Amino acid sequence: MLAVDMTGDAVKAKNGSMVAYDGQMAFKKLSGGGEGLRGMVTRRLTGEQMTVMEVKGHGTCWFADRASEINLVGLQGEKLYVESSNLLATDAGLRTGTTFTGLRGASQGNGLFTTTVEGHGQAAIMSDGPAVVLRVSAQYPLTVDPGAYIAHQGNLRQSFQSGVTFRTLLGEGGGEAFQIRFEGDGLVYVQPSERNTIAGDV
Amino acid sequence: MYGAPGGGPTVYDPMTLPVDDNVNKYTFCVELKGSQWFLQKGKMIAYYGSMEFNGIGHGRLDRLVRTSFHSPLHASEWVVAEGSGKMLLADRAFDVNSYDLEDGNLTIRSGNLLAFQPSLALKQSIVPGFLTLIGTGKFVAASNGPVVFMEPPIRVDPQALVGWADCPSPCHHYDHSYMTGLMGGLRAMTGLGGASGEEHQFEFVGAGTVLLQSSETLMAEQATGAVPNEPGVPGGGAHTGPSQQAGAPRLPGQLGDLQRRFGL
Amino acid sequence: MPFREINSKMVEATLLPGQRLFSQRGAMLAYQGEVTFTPNIQGGQGGVMSMIGRRVANEATPLMSVEGSGTVLFGHGGHHVQVINLTGDTLYVEADRLLAFEGTLQQGTMFMGSQGGVMGMVRGQVTGQGLFTTTLKGHGSVAVMAHGGVFEIPINPQHPVHVDPQAYVAHHGDVRNKLSTALGWRDMVGRGSGEAFQLELSGNGSVYVQASEEKL
Repeated sequence: MLAVDMTGDAVKAKNGSMVAYDGQMAFKKLSGGGEGLRGMVTRRLTGEQMTVMEVKGHGTCWFADRASEINLVGLQGEKLYVESSNLLATDAGLRTGTTFTGLRGASQGNGLFTTTVEGHGQAAIMSDGPAVVLRVSAQYPLTVDPGAYIAHQGNLRQSFQSGVTFRTLLGEGGGEAFQIRFEGDGLVYVQPSERNTIAGDV
Repeated sequence: MYGAPGGGPTVYDPMTLPVDDNVNKYTFCVELKGSQWFLQKGKMIAYYGSMEFNGIGHGRLDRLVRTSFHSPLHASEWVVAEGSGKMLLADRAFDVNSYDLEDGNLTIRSGNLLAFQPSLALKQSIVPGFLTLIGTGKFVAASNGPVVFMEPPIRVDPQALVGWADCPSPCHHYDHSYMTGLMGGLRAMTGLGGASGEEHQFEFVGAGTVLLQSSETLMAEQATGAVPNEPGVPGGGAHTGPSQQAGAPRLPGQLGDLQRRFGL
Repeated sequence: MPFREINSKMVEATLLPGQRLFSQRGAMLAYQGEVTFTPNIQGGQGGVMSMIGRRVANEATPLMSVEGSGTVLFGHGGHHVQVINLTGDTLYVEADRLLAFEGTLQQGTMFMGSQGGVMGMVRGQVTGQGLFTTTLKGHGSVAVMAHGGVFEIPINPQHPVHVDPQAYVAHHGDVRNKLSTALGWRDMVGRGSGEAFQLELSGNGSVYVQASEEKL
């Protein structure tokens, strides 16, 4: 549950995620994703879907979605990459966009594009259970199950690697599972749960 | 370096991650130093360091499996992690906790067990759907809501039971005042009046500890593997018990649906 | 107080001889002592008329009465449990959210239409819960279930609260509810922000809201 105290300012939030408010609030649907026609066209093309509403007013507004855990991320000019289904709300001042994720999206079944949030302010991301934030640095690369990945920020390179080797006698378990390896300098958010993945089964 | 401004969430790196302890209620961190852990497939969410995950039938692990893994038909659900580094385990955002056994025994619902050290031996329990861990070591188990520990004597709804330690005699308990007599028979035949849903429990007596989870939502059952089909082995021969009925196949250990038979 | 919250998903009730609890059928997790569970053909208190009322109202959540002496653990479906203590006032709650409550409480069914007129009826339809709500009145405690965590928002005359009907759990006190469609006509014709209907609660009391828009 996310509580936002507002004094005349606005937040962008996932459609239908308001659960309660007091004071005066106005709700407005934003088309596409908030960045006008171009953003909308990109979205149409990419198939990354996110319906957003703008909430503006005075008072306290509570947001929640399917009982998922909410994690606040403070951004100071950097870029946050997050699956759009995991983005609950952002300060209205943050820019949201779409980016190509490469193969990771395909393996998660989330499409090939992911949402980016950029600027100065706070974003609320959702996870199934509270997210664990893991730092990636030059000497400590990190390997993550695609189903548990929810977001990352910073200057990170992603690559695929195969996970378990199922060299069993009877070939049980079959196939190889994929993991994502992050290298560089930044933070990765993982959730204590796994979406159904196409590839990951470690 | 990216921090978490404004008192955001804690950022972990390999130095600050706990050693064999919970990161939060739902995530557990295991440190490997050239050592091995058994884990259920699909429960590793991230790791630092260099690790290898091998299916349990892997030839090189034969000896390890022979000494610690006695649930042969269950083997495809498990992998062995080895190497060095730290890995995070989680299971569908269920609560996760570790338990230490010191020369003890603990029986746990198979779907709840996530990982264990090879110093423990894993065996199938006589009670279908449960696994028994014997020896000294640490294991990690998930539960729907925090686990509550209770002392016998206690009667437990089958679906709320996570497992038990040292209790010699888990048995079935039926609410006879409800099931017998004219009204009971009528209710059982017609379904009129319904059932309270609590006609059947597991009863524990003696010394030990019973582990309960808060909810009646069963975690997905993991097949414990079939038991040898021979007389005297529960679940092995022909079923004649009152809780067995024709129709949908039932999972081992799933006895909590008796109420359906009694009118609901 | 008979209910003790053991954790967010489990409550422990202490039963003394002569006391009685009502709980949702099948919600017992474990018990110690001599306790009996009897299905309640009347669906609670109030005899046949009440039962018919409940059938019509489609609020016939099966209850059982729990008697004896010992301790009983209740929980259900992995839902969060919130204990609400009543001191003479009335709690309005959807029947299928009731986990357990003390026998000292007067149970009733309220036609939502009687409060808030047409809007009350619309409210019932919006929440999909029917037009009837269970009321519990008197002194005692109630354990209520919700999907996700529950939080309480106080209501006072200067401080009306708007709630998404899907996230509404229960309310108590002297509270008027009405369904507001505070949004412009545009939102009504299908371009809505998803919050087209809101439940407005005003008066004196509290409303309980769950961190989810899913019904039980």
